Amino acid sequence: MPGRFGKLHLQAWGPQALSVAVGLTVWEIAGRLTPAAILAPPSRVFARMAAMLASGELPALLAASSLHMLAGFGLAVLVAVPIGFLMGRVPWVSRLLDPLVTAFYSLPTVALVPLIVIWFGLFYAARVALVFCMAVPDMIVVMAAGARDIDQRLVDAGRSLGAGWMQQFRKVLLPASLPFVFTALRVGAVRAINAMITAELFFAAVNLGASMKKAASAFDSAGLLAVLATLCLAGLAVQELLRLLETWAAPWRQGVGNG
Amino acid sequence: MAEASASRSAGRLVSLAGIAIALVVWEVAGRAAGPARFAPFSDVAREFLTVLGDGLTLPALGTSLLQMLVGYGAGLAVGVPLGVLMGRQAWADRAFQPWVSMMVVTSTAALVPLLIVLFGTGFWFRTAVVFLATVWYVVITAYQGARGIDPRYLGAARSFGAGDWQTFRMVHLPALFPYLMTGASVGLAHAIRAMVMAEMYVLIGFGGRLQQTGLSISTAPLLCSLLLLMLIGVAATGGLRWLGGRMAPWYEEARA
Repeated sequence: MPGRFGKLHLQAWGPQALSVAVGLTVWEIAGRLTPAAILAPPSRVFARMAAMLASGELPALLAASSLHMLAGFGLAVLVAVPIGFLMGRVPWVSRLLDPLVTAFYSLPTVALVPLIVIWFGLFYAARVALVFCMAVPDMIVVMAAGARDIDQRLVDAGRSLGAGWMQQFRKVLLPASLPFVFTALRVGAVRAINAMITAELFFAAVNLGASMKKAASAFDSAGLLAVLATLCLAGLAVQELLRLLETWAAPWRQGVGNG
Repeated sequence: MAEASASRSAGRLVSLAGIAIALVVWEVAGRAAGPARFAPFSDVAREFLTVLGDGLTLPALGTSLLQMLVGYGAGLAVGVPLGVLMGRQAWADRAFQPWVSMMVVTSTAALVPLLIVLFGTGFWFRTAVVFLATVWYVVITAYQGARGIDPRYLGAARSFGAGDWQTFRMVHLPALFPYLMTGASVGLAHAIRAMVMAEMYVLIGFGGRLQQTGLSISTAPLLCSLLLLMLIGVAATGGLRWLGGRMAPWYEEARA
């Protein structure tokens, strides 16, 4: 995932705000011209969001949905980061695993839903499994590509200065890996949030997914779009959070690879 | 030369070993778990041969893929010019970036209930899902390619008196090509994902069949469908890479 997207620039707010305002105006006009059941205008969507926030419904739903998202994402990080790193640094591991990773990367993860139902049922465990399966292949691919591109001169310099295996890892490979580890985290987070709502729509409908299904069957497009907007804002917030974390963890990267 | 090709064939061998190990693990795990939970590879392979001949699954898959191409094509047709425009013009970048950022993080699955309200569950619904899943990734890669064009090349073209069209054809297009191929293949992966997801949601086409095979007694038909999807995904990405190599041989060199 390239750096500039998935984030709203904090600098240069003016043109961005204008763009958002124009988009919202177009949507408002379109929403007023079409029947309310099909496309609610943003004014009604935001009013609905405010009401759902005030009643505590939206935060509760989001918190409940985050549970399986975080569990699945955490497991995915534990598996994908080491495997991807090894694939990038050790040629035979890459050759051994590459066909499998390619195969799973090419498989639409949602197609695993029937199998996950057989193995994990319809509830919490199944949702965690889907989040895990959806985040892992993309993160491995990013990690492997990043680890492969670590500047060999850094590694050679470390070796010629007499760094041992552990020192080499801690002082050279780890700092050199941070940028793409964060790229992998961002890519994985997008996939995990994606999987979070997919799971709630495809397994037993709960939390935000249940709320969407209820709104859809009642032709309540304001309620539907309110949940959608929440998901979108949550996604952007997570991206921004990871970016802040990256600046904190790897301050020397600032302004280098963010373009 | 000979050494390089020897090490390459050794690499192939390791890759084949990886596949072989996975198949053996699958077979052993499948025998232990039983076909109701996880059919062993031998069962699935037998099922695969039946499915190839049954005249139901493959046509369903073909129809689904053809319908997918409409949304995918539309995604490319909109995404490439939009991405290039954003990459070359500051005003377009500012105007579209917030919306592209938002759409990229938005899950396609979450759009499905809304799209059903808007389009029903027919052809336009599936096309819209695939389009929305494809277009933003194409925009991003085209945008990155367009931003990365070396200004010195543009300056050189201008000083040799190249017109707008010539500059586009001789400088922009070759520089963009690797990005466009990446965008096309990432977009295709997303298009296939979206197609299967949309069909599973409304239970039609190949995705619908897949969802229903989950209810059968043995998992062999289900795993067989998954295998088929995997092969199609791998073939599609490989096909695009081959096409890229044919159309622009410098592309592979630039990547190596």
